[in-house]
Amino acid sequence: MRREIIIAGRGGQGILLLGHVIGVAAAKFSNYYVTGTESYSAETRGGDSKAEIIVADSAEELGYMKVREADVAVFMYGDQLVKYSRLVKQGAVVFADSTFVTEVPEEGWVLKLAPYTKIAETELGTPRVANMVALGHLVGVTKLLSTEAVEKAIEHVVKKSWVELNKKAFRRGLGLASN
Amino acid sequence: MRAEYVTSNIAIAEGAMASGLKFFAGYPITPTSDILEYLAEELPKRGGVVIQLEDEIASINAVIGASWAGAKAMTATSSPGYSLMVEALSFAIITETPLVVVYVMRAGPSTGVPTRSCQYDVFQVRYGSHGNYELPVLVPWSAQEAFDLTVKAFNVSEMLRVPTVILSDAMLAHTWEKVIIRNPSELKIISRRKPEVPPQEYMPFKPGEDLVPPMACFGDGYKVMVESLTHDERGYYSPTTEVQERMIRRLVEKVRRNSRLIIDYETYFTSSAEYIFFAYGSTARSVYALVKELRREGIRAGLYRPKALWPFDEGGLKKIASEAKRVFVVENNVGLMYKEVAQVLRDKEVISVGIIDLDVPSPDRIKEVISEWL
Amino acid sequence: MVVSKQVHPLDKYVRVDRLPHLWCPGCGIGIVMSAMLRAIGRRIGEGVFKEEDIVVVGGIGCTARMPLYLNFDTVHAIHGRAVPFAVGVKLANPKLKVIVVGGDGDIAGIGGNHLMHAARRNMDITVIMVNNMVYAMTGGQLAPTTPTGLYTTTTPRGNPEKPINVVKLVASLGANYVARASVTHPALIETYVYRALGKEGFTFVEVLSTCPEVFGRHIGIKDAVQLFMELREKVKVKAKPSLNESYYDWESGFVIGEYVDKDDPGYLRMFGLLR
Repeated sequence: MRREIIIAGRGGQGILLLGHVIGVAAAKFSNYYVTGTESYSAETRGGDSKAEIIVADSAEELGYMKVREADVAVFMYGDQLVKYSRLVKQGAVVFADSTFVTEVPEEGWVLKLAPYTKIAETELGTPRVANMVALGHLVGVTKLLSTEAVEKAIEHVVKKSWVELNKKAFRRGLGLASN
Repeated sequence: MRAEYVTSNIAIAEGAMASGLKFFAGYPITPTSDILEYLAEELPKRGGVVIQLEDEIASINAVIGASWAGAKAMTATSSPGYSLMVEALSFAIITETPLVVVYVMRAGPSTGVPTRSCQYDVFQVRYGSHGNYELPVLVPWSAQEAFDLTVKAFNVSEMLRVPTVILSDAMLAHTWEKVIIRNPSELKIISRRKPEVPPQEYMPFKPGEDLVPPMACFGDGYKVMVESLTHDERGYYSPTTEVQERMIRRLVEKVRRNSRLIIDYETYFTSSAEYIFFAYGSTARSVYALVKELRREGIRAGLYRPKALWPFDEGGLKKIASEAKRVFVVENNVGLMYKEVAQVLRDKEVISVGIIDLDVPSPDRIKEVISEWL
Repeated sequence: MVVSKQVHPLDKYVRVDRLPHLWCPGCGIGIVMSAMLRAIGRRIGEGVFKEEDIVVVGGIGCTARMPLYLNFDTVHAIHGRAVPFAVGVKLANPKLKVIVVGGDGDIAGIGGNHLMHAARRNMDITVIMVNNMVYAMTGGQLAPTTPTGLYTTTTPRGNPEKPINVVKLVASLGANYVARASVTHPALIETYVYRALGKEGFTFVEVLSTCPEVFGRHIGIKDAVQLFMELREKVKVKAKPSLNESYYDWESGFVIGEYVDKDDPGYLRMFGLLR
C-alpha cells in the first residue's frame, strides 16, 4: 500500500497542522511509514500553504519524497485547487471546503464537498478548526487511519487548551462521511 | 524504542543523544538551527551541555576541547558554516579528536538559497580542510537512516579517533518521517579506548595494532600534550620528514585499513541489471522511484546507493557494476561524484546525470535526461 | 660518593626533557611562565585545585608555545582559537582548571571575537595575555597592540592605527577580574595570576612584555636589559587603578594593577552547572 496525500490552502487555514496530525497518526499511532514535506510562502497569513504526505506499508515503498499523483487531496481554498490540481490523479478522492471553493474542474475525481469553515464557524465557534472538520471528513471517507489514531495524534500535536475543540471538530467531520 | 514523526535534523539530534552525546556547541544557520534548538531543550535533561557560541569557528573548537575533556561532542552546521569550520577540522584530524559534525547542504555558492537543497558540497566536505588526510562522511537518505548513521558516526569517530561527518541536505532537513528511536541499551554504542598503561609509560599518539592510539583525556592524570604541530608519539613537535611521513601515513591508513567499519551500501534490483544507477542522499529516493518504474516498463535497471560517501567504496561499486552495460550517476549538482565513479569504473560507460533542483531532482526529470541512453 | 643534583623548585611543573625552550635571549615570556607556575603552585598547595585538573591551552605564537613545556594536560591549538577550545573543555568537565596563555595577536587580534564573548559570558576560565606589542614569531609584523607611529615590517612608514586597549575592552564586557602586569614586576604577575586562579567567572591578566629580538629592533633598542629598563621606566604601579588610568600608550606609559575585581556569578553558575 502506498498513498499520496496533498493538502493545500491559504496560510492561516491550518494546512500544515492538518498534514502534521495525519503524519503523526500514521507514523506514531498506526503501523505505517510516512514521509511529509511542507511548503509555504513567506507571509504567515494569506499566502500559499501546502502539505504533502506519503503513507506506505514499508519504508522503501516511500521512495520519492514529494507528491506526483495524489490519491487523496484536500483543498481548503479555490486558488490552490487550481494551482495543484495537476498533482492529483484521476480517480482520486478530493475533499474541498465549499465555503471557499466554488468551482471544481472536471478531472475525473471522486469529489467530496462540504463547507468546513462555515461548519467550524457556526457550529464550533471558530473557523480555526475547519482543518479538523476536513480531517474528519477525509478519515471518515477513506478509512486510511483509525479514529483512535487520529485522536491520539491530535492530543500529541495540538496545544492542550485546544485539544477538546479540535477533537470535537474532527468528530463533526467524521459525521460528514455518513451523510 | 519509540516511533516518532520527525525531520532528519531531529532524528540526528536523537541519534546523537542515544550515542551518549554530552556536549554540543553551535551557531544558528539555516537549515540546521533546529538541531541546536532541540538539543538546547533536550540534552541538559540527560546531563549534557549545549551552548550557542559566537560563530562556527568557536563552535568546532569548543567541540574539540570538550572531546579532550572526555565528552562525546558534536556540532551542526550547513554549507557556509562548514567553510568556517574546516581549519579547525584539520586540527581535529592531526590531534585525532573524536567528534561528529552534522553538515546539512544548502544551495550555494555563498548565501545562495539558504532554505533550499543541493548536493554541491560532496567534495568540499571531504577535501575542504588543508593537509593530507581521510575523513569519514556518511550520507543518509531518510530520517530513519539519519538516526542510524548518527549512531554509526559516533562509533566510527570514537573507534578511529577521527572527526566524522553526517552529510545531509536541506530537503531531508525539512522532511518529516517515521523514525524508530532506539534507546542506548538497544544499540551498539562504542566509546574511545582508554590507555591501559600507567601515565609514565603512556604516549598519547602511540597507536595500537589498529593504528589508533588509546586516548587519555584531561583530568585522567596522564598529562597529555594535544599538539597541532607535526608530532611524534609523545605529542612532541618534530619537524622531520621521517616523523611527518610516519604521522601522515598513519592518519590516512588508520581510516583506510578500517574502512570496512565505515563503508556500507544498499542495492535495489541490481542483479542482472543492464543499467546501474549510482545515487546518494535525498536524490537516491527519486532514483529508487524511477528504477522501480523502469522495471515495471521491462527495463533492467538497478540502484547502488552508498551510505558512506567517503572513503569511496571502490570495491562494492566495482562488484555491483561488473555486469552493467551503462552506469548513470545521478546527483543534485552538475556532476561531482561522477568523477569518482568514472575513475573506478574505467572500462564502463559512465554517464553523469547532474540535475540542479532546489528540492530534489524528480524521477520525471531524471527519466527525461536518461531516456536517450536506454 | 653522594652526588647532589640541583633541582629547580618549579621543575615538577615543567617537561624538563623538552628544554631548552625556543624563546630568544632576553624574552619576557620566561618571567611570565615562572610567575604563573608559582601562582599555580600556591593554589595547588591551598587545595583550590589539583595538579591533574589543570589544563593549559595556547593558540599560536611565542607565548602559545608555553604549554609545550608545562607538565600538565596541555594544548597547542590553532591560531586565535585557544579561548573557544578552553570554553569547550571547561563546559564538558567543570572540575578542570582551565588556563589560556597567548600573545596579544593570538588573543586580541585573530582571537579577539572569542575573547570578547568569553568575557561577556563571564566564562569560568583564566586568560593570561602576554603583550609584546608585535607579531614576533612571524618576524615583526603589525599587532593590534602596536603603538601608533611605530615601525613594523608591514607598516614601514609607521603604524597609522590606534592600538587596542585590551584591559579596557575586557573590563567593559563584565569580566570578574582584570589586571595588567608587566615583566618588569614579576612578583605582581604572580600575585595577579594567583588572584585570578582563585575566582569564579572570567579572569584576565595582561602582562606587558619585552621582545628585544623583534620589537626592540623595531624601536632601536636591541639590548635586552636596556629594553627591560625602558619598559620599567614606563610602568607605574597602582594597587587599584581606575579604568581611566588603563590608557594604552607607549609615550605616556602604562599603569599596572588590578582594574576589576568583583564576584558576579560565572557562566557555570548561571547555567546551573555548579551546585
